[in-house]
Amino acid sequence: MSGGRSLWSAGWARFRQNPLAMAGAVTVLLLYLVAIFAPVLTQYDPVSHGDLPEMRHQPPSREHLLGTDKFGRDVLTRLVYGSRISLMVSFLAVTISVVLGSIIGAAAGYTGGIVDAVLMRMVDALMSIPRLFLLLTCIALFSRSLLLVTVLLGATGWMGTARLVRGQILSLKNREFVSAAEALGAGNSRIVLRHLIPNALTVIIVSATLRIGLIILVEAALSFLGLGVPPPTPSWGQMVYEGRDVLLDGWWVSTFPGMAIVVTVVAYNLLGDGLRDSFDPIQFT
Amino acid sequence: MARYFAGRLGQSVLLVWLVLTITFFLLHLAPGDPMARYDDPEMDPETVEMMRRQFGLDRSVPEQYARWISNFARGNFGISLRYNRPVSELLASAVPNTLRLTLLALAVYMILGVALGVTSAARKNSLFDRIGTLTALVVYSIPSFWLALMLIMLFSLKLGWLPSSHMQSIDASNFGALELFRDRAAHLVLPAFVLGVASAAGMARYMRGSMIDELRSDYVRTARAKGLSEGAVLMKHAFRNAAIPIVTIVGLSIPFLLGGSVVTEKIFSWPGMGSLMVESIFTRDYPVVLAINFIVSVMVILGNLLADFGYALLDPRIAYSGEEGER
Repeated sequence: MSGGRSLWSAGWARFRQNPLAMAGAVTVLLLYLVAIFAPVLTQYDPVSHGDLPEMRHQPPSREHLLGTDKFGRDVLTRLVYGSRISLMVSFLAVTISVVLGSIIGAAAGYTGGIVDAVLMRMVDALMSIPRLFLLLTCIALFSRSLLLVTVLLGATGWMGTARLVRGQILSLKNREFVSAAEALGAGNSRIVLRHLIPNALTVIIVSATLRIGLIILVEAALSFLGLGVPPPTPSWGQMVYEGRDVLLDGWWVSTFPGMAIVVTVVAYNLLGDGLRDSFDPIQFT
Repeated sequence: MARYFAGRLGQSVLLVWLVLTITFFLLHLAPGDPMARYDDPEMDPETVEMMRRQFGLDRSVPEQYARWISNFARGNFGISLRYNRPVSELLASAVPNTLRLTLLALAVYMILGVALGVTSAARKNSLFDRIGTLTALVVYSIPSFWLALMLIMLFSLKLGWLPSSHMQSIDASNFGALELFRDRAAHLVLPAFVLGVASAAGMARYMRGSMIDELRSDYVRTARAKGLSEGAVLMKHAFRNAAIPIVTIVGLSIPFLLGGSVVTEKIFSWPGMGSLMVESIFTRDYPVVLAINFIVSVMVILGNLLADFGYALLDPRIAYSGEEGER
């Protein structure tokens, strides 16, 4: 793996030269810091209702920078805590789908033959059900919780990774270093785990980063439809939903959470594009 | 060529069958008896019994599976628990509404995407190109439900230019033909734009790349050397070749449009499949949920087929190389 090191450092050098990619990376980092330090950043409670009716739908002011919602809760506070849901759900979901997709893609690509054919037709079939419909059908059939939403988001998103990893494995498995490992008596699982997967890793990481933005959007859409994370836990999609009746008199309730989603997704997409251009100039273009 | 088409058609039928099988197993993977959640006093025991019979839960699993496949293949989706009407009737009124919205969104996204992509490519690295590319990235990252609310806030509530929901005005029955057409068109503007604009961003990105590649090719240099105007080079030569993959993109964009229609229809109270799906989930109307899932998958598979066929017709090399090569 001596070549791996220079690949990574050369990629990193290219990445640093790209201002948009760096902006994306810094924004993502800041968002994680906000999520982690939420209780330090704001003194209000994100969940408990304000007791005074006159606190409801307060426009942005010095006390409430982004105003208050229909229960008199501080919008900025809920926004800050809501970042935890978006970031955590998307990170876990993409991890689940990448692990699942890598295992299935590697199994299909390395084994070949009938296993490959069956697994790939299954991928085709799952990909012909649009993701939101597949998710909604699962949500209808199972009962609803934060864990379920996360697992389902991961479990409905692995097919793309599986195809990608399979393609990578197919192109790698006849290379000399694999024959060398075979000649040295390495077992199948060792070849896949120690030789094939590490070589496909950049492609996997890049595609995972590009996918996080989409997962955040889907999670927000589910919350907006009232089928995501159950209230009163603040999530951005649901906050947008709560403001839909007061678009004129309380425009801030919907507007700011939506902006938070846009900023987060743009940041992840810039980061993903930057990683792709820096670490895989050929593979994706 | 015919063999290629037959092969693709066969694969598609196989896919439809697989989708049905997956949905069947999903239904049975759900924890416990699918009816267990109806063991609450609010549910009418007769309804529970009807559902049990409808799903054939009193029979053996292989028998249930066979019935499931044969019923769906014949378009027999059972009875909606909520409306107590055949699911196919509900779909017959919802599907055309979704198609009307989706087709217009498709037009929006093609026109916007192609125009932006071609203009960006023609002025590669100009200020217009840079701003356009960045705008496309941002638009691609906007949640459609939020965009919809912001547009409603501006165009419906503040300016009062466009209606914010439904397919036509409440008093539309009194309208003359022309007035009705204008009323319905006005109701389409916002939803079609919201549904189409995100895909337009992707299309613009694609067209830009594709045009830049074509503009670099030899035949474009020849055309320029002949002294053709830049406009003619752009539209008569480069664009014609860059546009070939558009059929493929249109075919493959169907899942995104249909997925997007769920949220868009919900916000604009558009009585299509998306609205029906969301409503059926809240009312646990399983037969409707599963039928919509099936219909949507068939549409996606047809879209893929269209993409393959269109591409093979426009570029026959694909079909011939596809016959021996594996996918």
